[in-house]
Amino acid sequence: MPEHAQAHTLSNESQSIERPVERPSDWEPAIIAFACHYCAFAAADLSGVMRLSYPFNVKIIRMPCTGKLDQSYLLRAFERGVDGIFVAG
Amino acid sequence: MSNTENKKRGSVVIVGGGIGGMQSALDLADSGFKVHIIQKESTIGGTMVMLDKTFPTGDCSMCMISPKMVEVARHPGIKIHTLSQVTSVKGAAGDFTVAIRQKPRYVDPEKCTGCGVCEEKCPKKTASEFEQNLSVRKAIYSEFSQAVPNTRVIDPEICTYLTKGKCRVCEKVCTANAINFEDTEKEYELKTGAIILAPGLQRHNPWRHQELGYGRWENVVTSLQFERILSASGPFSGEIKRPSDQKHPEKIAWLQCVGSRDPHNANPWCSSVCCMYATKQAVIAKEHDNRISPSIFYMDMRAFGKDFDKYVDRAKNEYNVNYHRAMISDVREDPKTGDLVLRYSGMDGKQTYENFDMVVLSIGLEPHDDAWTFAETIGIDLNAYGFAGTTPFRPVESSKAGIYVTGTFQSPKDIPETVMQGSAVAGSAMSLLADVRGTEVEHVELPPEKDISSDQPRVGVIVCHCGINISQTVDVKKIANDVKNLPHVVHSEDMMYACAQDSQETIKNLIKDKNLNRLVVASCTPRTHEPLFQETIRQAGLNKYLFELADIREQCSWCHMGDQENATRKAADIVRMNVAKVSLFEPLTTDSVPVTPAALIIGGGISGMTTALSLGDQGYDVHLVEKNANIGGLLNNVYRTIEAGDVQHFLKSRINEVKKHHKITIHTDASVEKTEGYVGNFTTRLTDGSTFDHGAVIVATGGMEYTPSEYLYGESQWVVTQRELEKQLEEKGPEPGASYVMIQCVGSREEPLNYCSRICCQDAIKNAIAIKEKGLGTHVTILYRDMRTYGLREDYYKKARDLGVLFMRYEPDNKPQVEATGWGVAVTAYDPMLNRPVVIHANFLVLSTGLRPHPSTEEIGKMYKLTRNPDGFFLEAHVKLRPVDFPTEGFYLSGLAHAPKNIDETISQALSAAGRAGVLLSHERLGVSGIISKHNRDLCMSCLACFRVCPFDSPFIDEDGKVSHSEIKCTGCGICSGICPAKAFQVNNFRDDQIIAMIDALTENIA
Repeated sequence: MPEHAQAHTLSNESQSIERPVERPSDWEPAIIAFACHYCAFAAADLSGVMRLSYPFNVKIIRMPCTGKLDQSYLLRAFERGVDGIFVAG
Repeated sequence: MSNTENKKRGSVVIVGGGIGGMQSALDLADSGFKVHIIQKESTIGGTMVMLDKTFPTGDCSMCMISPKMVEVARHPGIKIHTLSQVTSVKGAAGDFTVAIRQKPRYVDPEKCTGCGVCEEKCPKKTASEFEQNLSVRKAIYSEFSQAVPNTRVIDPEICTYLTKGKCRVCEKVCTANAINFEDTEKEYELKTGAIILAPGLQRHNPWRHQELGYGRWENVVTSLQFERILSASGPFSGEIKRPSDQKHPEKIAWLQCVGSRDPHNANPWCSSVCCMYATKQAVIAKEHDNRISPSIFYMDMRAFGKDFDKYVDRAKNEYNVNYHRAMISDVREDPKTGDLVLRYSGMDGKQTYENFDMVVLSIGLEPHDDAWTFAETIGIDLNAYGFAGTTPFRPVESSKAGIYVTGTFQSPKDIPETVMQGSAVAGSAMSLLADVRGTEVEHVELPPEKDISSDQPRVGVIVCHCGINISQTVDVKKIANDVKNLPHVVHSEDMMYACAQDSQETIKNLIKDKNLNRLVVASCTPRTHEPLFQETIRQAGLNKYLFELADIREQCSWCHMGDQENATRKAADIVRMNVAKVSLFEPLTTDSVPVTPAALIIGGGISGMTTALSLGDQGYDVHLVEKNANIGGLLNNVYRTIEAGDVQHFLKSRINEVKKHHKITIHTDASVEKTEGYVGNFTTRLTDGSTFDHGAVIVATGGMEYTPSEYLYGESQWVVTQRELEKQLEEKGPEPGASYVMIQCVGSREEPLNYCSRICCQDAIKNAIAIKEKGLGTHVTILYRDMRTYGLREDYYKKARDLGVLFMRYEPDNKPQVEATGWGVAVTAYDPMLNRPVVIHANFLVLSTGLRPHPSTEEIGKMYKLTRNPDGFFLEAHVKLRPVDFPTEGFYLSGLAHAPKNIDETISQALSAAGRAGVLLSHERLGVSGIISKHNRDLCMSCLACFRVCPFDSPFIDEDGKVSHSEIKCTGCGICSGICPAKAFQVNNFRDDQIIAMIDALTENIA
């Protein structure tokens, strides 16, 4: 399975470098948070319990530990159009 | 009599659900006993839940205790009885009948989902006890967000309906029908084999000390109020403000010993924790707001615990905390500013006036007001102050057999010592009830697991409304409908409460009817609800790991309220990525390995012997290995405890018990040559050639007394150590008319070994009392830095002063000078009170030498890869909550090998190690978790990257010289898989392809 994942990561590498475009005013970045089950994921739960709000465009992927993070996840996410990644643990 | 002995019961009642009671409950339940926790409050948690952070590591208190509370709540062997009190105890050890009275909660915890709408709508407010009156709570409330059980309670004293017959708003808004105003008080009985008392302590009420202005000046707060002020979930969300005008205070003063060490106005004992918590609060306050200048006013800085002195040094040097050795006689308020004026004498004797923005009173600990009636109900004795009456040699036994005491109820103590004693009482109860272990736990029969290996994924999705908690923000029906179009989804529906009992039946039927082989529930957090649903699908014949929770409540509806469109979109994303993930799940088999029910104990001192006896009584074989020719260790040279207990008599009886015990094999003149294997399955060969199998290792290698080179020791015959003096006093008594001078902290609390040896202050006082009590016209002077007679030992400090022992302080940069004279020594010391040097002619100079780790600590550490702190003592797995465990599974720690400590503390810790090891050894087989890292040997290049980073030593080099992986040690953290360049490690249910599938599903709609 990992080989399969890597093949996808590398598939678009030969595309030409695009020029930066103007950001539309209603633009919202897509953000993925990789959160450790034991701390940051628990903190995200607590923010819900305390009804603390944060932007809805942050989506959380649970990790058993942030040490589990792999470069391939970051590359894959950026390749798929994610604008920012937050690693918390 | 023989009848009652035959009728032992395999259950334990624990009174008190603080951190100590919880530890006992988990240890006992994990080793096959049924446990009942009786808790007066509406939630378990005790005092620790109120604290912001803990010393000396600065760990967040709630983050540590909250997972433990959840573990207690969902343990099948533990039943929590909240709002309950014991009304009578009948019977004897092995078979007690405990009568319980339970107050009405008015909320059905089975139906309540913990959504909190009732609390929001309730019109009645009162001061919050949990927030120490700094904010308000409602009449229907939970003490704090993480309360366990996770439900609400109605306060009948203030509820408008229960007091005036009108309102019932909570009932109207509760969609789960959980409110029950008909609820009544219940009385019932529990049959149990042993009772553990862990009721904790209450905080001293500083109201009595009018001169300090508490309750009069708004900006004078208690230390517990300051904890809440510091807490991110507290009344000010972690911003440091003072109550009168919400201004950010810059100068904050802590006043120590409020209610402690004060026999005239409050309590005579030392509360043991205040010096350290004040230091911690000062440090944390400074971390919150760098402008804050903290000052601590104290008598003696009692940083006696492991690494405490280093923490205080850091507070002084890195955080610029000002320490003033001065007691504050009164606090006045400047009415214009709300600032507070403190008056104190400086070290030069001059009166000083200083303004502060805020004053924190370091309030002490004291027994609950109802301690005496509590003791009478249970039928046990208390000491004169209302603490449980225990002896130094039996620190966790009450005056009644089969009833054990633990935590601050026994004496004031900090969190790790409370946790330690929690395991110690659990170990003692395990010994008492060893033959009825497992008789009261229920065994559930499960259907065989269905083989799904050749089936395509058939995913079922349940989307939960959670009453209106999710559905008022997220369009639940739309999600349930849209999800039908996702690959592999064959069924989806919405449910009002997915976690309700009837929903579990519905889910089981769905799995059968629709032939589902994977399930996603979109509801709340996996941290609390995953085990429930896993159990449900297992009952339906599915492997329990074919399940995933999509958290759309805590992480969606609750934090995006009022934004229905975006919240629904986000919830759809969350569900989609979990469906993608679960589709790639495979059934996981959980291996198990047998456990050898035997223990190796390294070190035959009092610690090793105590652990050996407890484990032997629990029914396990014990191999006690001692380097020397005789067991007994350092205690061979000790005669009395400070309480005048006869150490030699105790030691002899213990040695006899150990020698006679049929489960204990003693190996003297031997040490460990080699140990192989892993948790539950070790084989050890000793230097004397004997070889045996065992399941656990207890390291009790002990310590050494420091042999001084200072102060003419070894040069003058008049210079002796406390231990040598103790022997002299025991054999010959004090020399009539002699002058004794004692110097404290010889070889302790300074570089290179900058730690407190903990025992020396009491040793000095013990010997000083023994000298002075005989009369004989003797003089005793003790030169000290801080007198650290913590806890109830403070009584003996007072006794020594009453007997005429002189105490004189010295500073480490101006140590006493010693010169030999013809008949003794002349000691020149600088007296800070007189502000000049004083010469004392002494017949005997007695050096209070500290403790060092035993030299074998280093080799044992290397042999087993166990880490030590810079001072050479072993490091426990977690300073607060795992004080006798090593990070390596199957290894436990006790006694001086851990840190310097007194006899009673060593015995407590040794029993604790026996309790923890007993939990492990009670299992016939040890289950390996399903969520672990799997190693693919075909991909592995043996580069050793995993070997270096694994915190649990699970990768190892096998007989082929390649990397293999011990799954039994693996916790599934996946650090190995993150670092492995060949991707030879994959964590079950967190495999790379599964995470990538989640990323892909999540990014499906990104343009």
